[in-house]
Amino acid sequence: MDKTRIAITGLGIFCAAGKDLASFTDALLHGRCGIGPVDLFDVSPFPSHIGAQVRDYSPLDYFDRADARRLSRTDQFAAVAAAEALGMSGAREHYDPFTVGICVGAGASGMIHGEAWLRDRLAGGKGRPGDLRCILPDRTTTALAERFGLWGYQGSITTACSSSATAIGWGADLIATGQLDACLCGGSDTLSILTYAGFNSLRVVDPEPCSPFSLGRQGISLGEGAAFVVLEREETARSRGARIYGRVLGYALAGEAHHMTAPEPSGSEAARVMRAALDNAGVSAGEIGWVNAHGTGTPLNDVVESKAMKLVFGADVQHVPLVSTKGMTGHCLGAAGSIEIVATVTALGAGIIPRTLNFRGSDPECDLDYCHDGPRESSATVALSNSFAFGGNVTSVVIGR
Amino acid sequence: MDIAVTGLAAISAAGVGIEPLRETVAQRQCRLTPVPVEVLGEDGYLWGKADGFRAADFMPPLKARKFDRCSLLATVAAGMALADAGIDPKGGDPTRIGIALGCGFGGIANSVEFLGGYFSRGVEGLVPMLFPNTVANAAASNASIEHGLKGPNVTQVQRFCSAEAAIQMACRFLEEGRADVMLAGGVDELTPLMMAGFQAVGQLRTYARSFSEGCGILVLERRDHAERRAARLRGRITGLRTVGMLPAGREQETVDRLMPPAAPALVSLSGIAADITALIAPLPAVPTLESGNLIGRSLAMGGLALASLLLVLPEGARGLHLAASPEGPYHAIDVTGGMRA
Repeated sequence: MDKTRIAITGLGIFCAAGKDLASFTDALLHGRCGIGPVDLFDVSPFPSHIGAQVRDYSPLDYFDRADARRLSRTDQFAAVAAAEALGMSGAREHYDPFTVGICVGAGASGMIHGEAWLRDRLAGGKGRPGDLRCILPDRTTTALAERFGLWGYQGSITTACSSSATAIGWGADLIATGQLDACLCGGSDTLSILTYAGFNSLRVVDPEPCSPFSLGRQGISLGEGAAFVVLEREETARSRGARIYGRVLGYALAGEAHHMTAPEPSGSEAARVMRAALDNAGVSAGEIGWVNAHGTGTPLNDVVESKAMKLVFGADVQHVPLVSTKGMTGHCLGAAGSIEIVATVTALGAGIIPRTLNFRGSDPECDLDYCHDGPRESSATVALSNSFAFGGNVTSVVIGR
Repeated sequence: MDIAVTGLAAISAAGVGIEPLRETVAQRQCRLTPVPVEVLGEDGYLWGKADGFRAADFMPPLKARKFDRCSLLATVAAGMALADAGIDPKGGDPTRIGIALGCGFGGIANSVEFLGGYFSRGVEGLVPMLFPNTVANAAASNASIEHGLKGPNVTQVQRFCSAEAAIQMACRFLEEGRADVMLAGGVDELTPLMMAGFQAVGQLRTYARSFSEGCGILVLERRDHAERRAARLRGRITGLRTVGMLPAGREQETVDRLMPPAAPALVSLSGIAADITALIAPLPAVPTLESGNLIGRSLAMGGLALASLLLVLPEGARGLHLAASPEGPYHAIDVTGGMRA
């Protein structure tokens, strides 16, 4: 039996590189970096003072006072991006709301609010109860379901940096199996002291804007943002006249079972999940035009992902660019996967391969084509998006134009 | 759907292992204990601490130190579940064995310790070793690393239905052929600071009364796979349904979507399912089992609740597991009882 084709009929994004799809697309086409100073909390004690913070953000530009107070920063970013995706799609208005679900990938979620409560408690205060209301990632899911009237499945996937990529793959599964007609899938995550201090304590944050795959890179630039897609069966989307922006052709997820923070060094486990995603999509390696890398900019991860590429693409690997968009968006942790999938869909639709920003020189251990020289025109119709996380939680998603 | 349950593991206020849980559930013994007055500044509350669990009983102390409590509970329970199912991951293809866990709060004590160090002593107070286990997937990931499980690996946080959401994913992964064996269930820890948080948001008098900790894991396989290896069937999962909300005016339609195709012999109620009249009204004559009243509740206790149901359901008898969260979602899982020993 033919595999059910899953169409993407809506896209929404809100991050440092662009506060909507149009401005994000412009940043992608022109290679604009969203990384700059962080002032959301005091970063002066840390070696790094930068990140991809959403600047000039005022909740009251998007929400009334009650929602601005009730929703966490993470929930607000999610609501803005989800509204754009749902508005573009029109799926919510077309289907029985019991058959429209939501699946959110999350990371630190509303931790910045929980941190305020904890700091007050540790100082002998009582803490503001409202700060605890939204610290769990499922709050974002429920808030969106309530806000947009999605009565079907609710799921919140928390596999750290691969969360939202997995959420999109799982949403496609729910539609393919007939459990849903449409699914709002994606992720949202915002900067917090926990993650900023945490990655700095591990010494994997670059004091300069992250420079994936290039010489002298020192690590990640943390970021924040949200991105969502609306998925439907392609056949149904066509019959209702919806515009199709791309397709989720397949995905795979696995545990490397190697180490909590370090990737399996040969790249064989990452290669295994990439191959499994291709198998699930029914796509050969030769059909992949380029790969949206996990590409964090850490010295180890970039080398291992490059090794994995060689295992998957063999002698043809130099003809398959491995591109990281994290130089533009920062590493948005729980939202990283969905932001990169939106970037992949957008780039495939625009007929380009994005640029890997902030090149500092060639690293002999990263010897593939990383598109450091600029966005380039491409007729590619299929791309792969990698998301690799703490715990060895690896997910790859195959995206079609 | 025909998914075999070939292994069970439980760590809870009832004790360590499935026998203490079976005895607790069969005899309807309450294992909740009073929350010490110094925790909340007042008495009159119960909790379900898994005080019988000592990591040192299962691994050297130095090794245990690298895990947070949630990861310890999950890692030990995963080993018990594999042993109960007669599966040695090293004896087969580890890429075909995965894990899907619900985890409501993650290793929150570990996160508090990490942040507390920073808030009290600045960057000098940061302990890098603590940071990796602040992610909610640490429990499932540490269990997979410890037991060499290289199949699908996922963690769900979905309010009181966290474990059910994970079990749903695990069943689907098996049906799709993404794995041959999936460990699925839920894990949560409970700390005094969490109790203070529940108190602060007013939940000790509502949904979070008798909060608890523990881990319940089921070993799931496609039935044909289980039969090929002549595995003992502790039960079967034959249906899964879920909805996100009970929208005003359409409650009955929502409940109808969750009800089983045939009347069950026993209904397990998890999360706040017992509090939702509309949900249990269609099954007035069916006996109910609410393990939360015996061992406590938490966001990811669905694994323990489902294990409890399977431990007392007669072989071949139909059971229904209903889980609900405040404002949703809602999950229904149809099961059939299997061999008990």
